[in-house]
Amino acid sequence: MAERRKYKKRFCKYCEAKVDFMDYKDVGALRFSLSEKYKIMPRRLTGNCKRHQDMIATVIKRARAAALVPYTVTRKTVVTAPFENLR
Amino acid sequence: MRNYENLVIVKPTLTAEEIQASITAIEEIITSNGGEIAARDTMGMRKLAYPVNKNERGYFYVMYYSIAPSAISEIERRFRINENLLRFVTIKYDTNREVAAWNQLVMKANKKASLPAGEAKVEEVAVPAALEEEAEEVAE
Repeated sequence: MAERRKYKKRFCKYCEAKVDFMDYKDVGALRFSLSEKYKIMPRRLTGNCKRHQDMIATVIKRARAAALVPYTVTRKTVVTAPFENLR
Repeated sequence: MRNYENLVIVKPTLTAEEIQASITAIEEIITSNGGEIAARDTMGMRKLAYPVNKNERGYFYVMYYSIAPSAISEIERRFRINENLLRFVTIKYDTNREVAAWNQLVMKANKKASLPAGEAKVEEVAVPAALEEEAEEVAE
């Protein structure tokens, strides 16, 4: 008998939503793949597939260059609700 | 001809007229190099995720255009000289999938531009609510 899985099977949320292209200006959509410290979340935690992980990585890096998403958040430079920074 | 997108952050210290003037100057750079601007998207003044040259805010402006690939280096050179710009990000839309996305973005930007200002605001308010849901999912 096969060993039973301890965890719920992970699936790629982007595959489920049939995402073909990600826009780096759409900051809200990036939040899922970012950690609390604004690091890019690894695939083993989010369950993203390789294809979508590659897409999200480039998109996040673009958004960082455009100052839409912070590179890092430390205790000194805490960004209070950075995604609600409209005006 | 290839499709491109440029995001430009203009200095927040300028007055409204000066910002408009610098934006028209930027568009002039693109058109004078043989580019055709398909759509423009004004994201407006917003807070930067991190300070750039000691500025906390910036005026975001996006242009979608098609141009010969050889002209991009010249455009970027001119952007670098321009002191009114804090940042610029150039994105290439090359593959079929990206070109399709580009067309959609252009349509979206044109639609947004034609809408009255009041409706655009509603959209912006709706965004944070969706974020919180996703953040909760991550916490789980």
